Amino acid sequence: MNARRALIIVTALVLALAPPAAPAGPQAAPAAADRPAVAAKPDAAAQAAAAPAAKPAVTKKPAANKVPVKRTEEILPAFQTPKEKTAVIVFYVWLWLSIGVLLYFLRWWVQEADRVFRARFYEPAESPRKDNPMPPLLGE
Amino acid sequence: MKLKSSLVTRRNFLNGLFGGWAAALAATFISPLVKFAWPPYKEPDEVTLPLADYKDMKPGEVKMFPWGAKPGLLKKAADGSYIAFVGVCTHLDCNVVYRPEQKKFFCACHDGWYDEEGKNIAGPPPKPLRRLDTAIEGEDFFVRKPGAKA
Amino acid sequence: MSARGILGWFVDRFGLKPILDYMHKKEVPQHHHTIWYYTGSSILLFLVLQIVTGILLALYYKPTLEGATASVERIMTELPLGWLVRSIHSWGATFMIATVMVHLLAIWFTKSYRKPREVTWMTGFLLLVFSMMFGFTGYLLPWDDLSLAATKVGTNIPRAIPVVGAWVTQFLRGGDDVTGDTLTRFFILHVCVFPLLIFAVLAVHIILVQKEGMSLPLKAEIEKKKLPWLPFWPNFVLRETMIWLVLLGVLLSISILFAPSLAPTADLMSPAPEGVKPEWYFLFLFQTLKIFPANMGPVTGEFVAVVLILLAVVAIFFLPFLDPKPQGRSGKIVTYAGILGVIYAVVMSIWSLL
Repeated sequence: MNARRALIIVTALVLALAPPAAPAGPQAAPAAADRPAVAAKPDAAAQAAAAPAAKPAVTKKPAANKVPVKRTEEILPAFQTPKEKTAVIVFYVWLWLSIGVLLYFLRWWVQEADRVFRARFYEPAESPRKDNPMPPLLGE
Repeated sequence: MKLKSSLVTRRNFLNGLFGGWAAALAATFISPLVKFAWPPYKEPDEVTLPLADYKDMKPGEVKMFPWGAKPGLLKKAADGSYIAFVGVCTHLDCNVVYRPEQKKFFCACHDGWYDEEGKNIAGPPPKPLRRLDTAIEGEDFFVRKPGAKA
Repeated sequence: MSARGILGWFVDRFGLKPILDYMHKKEVPQHHHTIWYYTGSSILLFLVLQIVTGILLALYYKPTLEGATASVERIMTELPLGWLVRSIHSWGATFMIATVMVHLLAIWFTKSYRKPREVTWMTGFLLLVFSMMFGFTGYLLPWDDLSLAATKVGTNIPRAIPVVGAWVTQFLRGGDDVTGDTLTRFFILHVCVFPLLIFAVLAVHIILVQKEGMSLPLKAEIEKKKLPWLPFWPNFVLRETMIWLVLLGVLLSISILFAPSLAPTADLMSPAPEGVKPEWYFLFLFQTLKIFPANMGPVTGEFVAVVLILLAVVAIFFLPFLDPKPQGRSGKIVTYAGILGVIYAVVMSIWSLL
């Protein structure tokens, strides 16, 4: 058997054996968690004997159990200052005014673009288009 | 076509009008978003501390107090008055530490040294440590920006 | 150096001339269904808006159990116009998904999914699923009690899928229950995973649309009539800009006038609050699950409902192959199925609110 075949067989064995090994994983984690605690005890004892004035070892609470501060009221969206309220109202009016003005200009632009297209459409230099109908222009 | 007496063609004038108005509208859209993205957090003007924590300091002792998001350093001078520094190095904003054996403030980032009065004596710091005003009123110990009103 | 000179330099260095020429040459046919051509670019407008407001919100949002609702509260109360940025993001999601549904229905009833646009339809359907997933994952992020309850229900539903159900639920929740891990998981799905997926699929979708050209109404294709057309640039783009302006105005107005509030903090231990419901685009699915009885023979009613929904999803995904000759009988069936589907979804949605 050559090296390549051996490699394929080893890979297949690893993949076949991995799923049965996986459930052992989560069980291994608590075992690992026990080990630091066991190791810390002789350390803590040595510390207590050697330096009574030393700071106590900081115990770590499991971080996943922190809960948020419970807020029982609903927060309603509101203006924070009267200045902000005026600014938003002015913005609202300005927004619709601008949209009106810009739409007016855009309509003009579109009519112009359509007119230019129509003029170029009938240029004899381009390919014959006598069989193609004219597109309807904006405002027609 | 542009008339000789005119600055721009009619087309450019109208295009400019449209573009200008569109740019103004875009600016009104973007400016609140910019205000939102630029952090509003500022240093406090004044901080109130409980006097009990600081009245038993020995002369020459330095204690830390919170100055907004930065550490403040409170030093009791030999004559019993308090000096408050912003405990941040004037070079590149690292937090400084007081070395009581040498009676100097030390910044570990680039070996900056300040003397007991906060004056920069060695290393890269260009300016002395920033000072803050202190005041005692009853049970409260106030630390203020210099010149800030109570 | 004039602006045109600088732009010309960019076009030259990046080789953009073929793209610009294409935009001038691209033909947009003009007929009585042309108005539906505007739905695609409107979706793009809302997507860009969602990205911008989403990034701004993400500057201050904290995706952890302790920090989430407090950070949203801070955005709404402390930061300048934070409530407005959040409101635009929330309403933008509604507008975007509504436009996606209008787009889908337009393609459905004009039968634009037919050959050669099958892959365009399928990528488009994927985009709809991604949009709704964006909405689902984003809904949990404020971590208030309404969104927690809706997420608990929503992540429980995949459990009924045969074979992979429990595994899907565990993946979505980061475990068996909704916890702080679910929140962080939903955040990374919302800001990283789904954006990458949607960009990839959207690129394919848009490239295919350009490659195939704009679809024509069925009648015009059968009669092989050449319809009048307008160039994409500048005529159609200018018209699109008009539509965008109006849509932006409507979105901003509604965001200002009807800004959302923030419900009380989510509590994993307390009972579900009154009036729990998912976002509007999930209401009809929610109601469909509710109308099935708890037990139907050997299986639960939920199982039957989920299987039926999955079958419908698969059928819609493969619609172009179920309807290969849209001008014939299957085309009529698909049209009636579409009308029935819309009536069903609307009726179910309204029923779930009563």
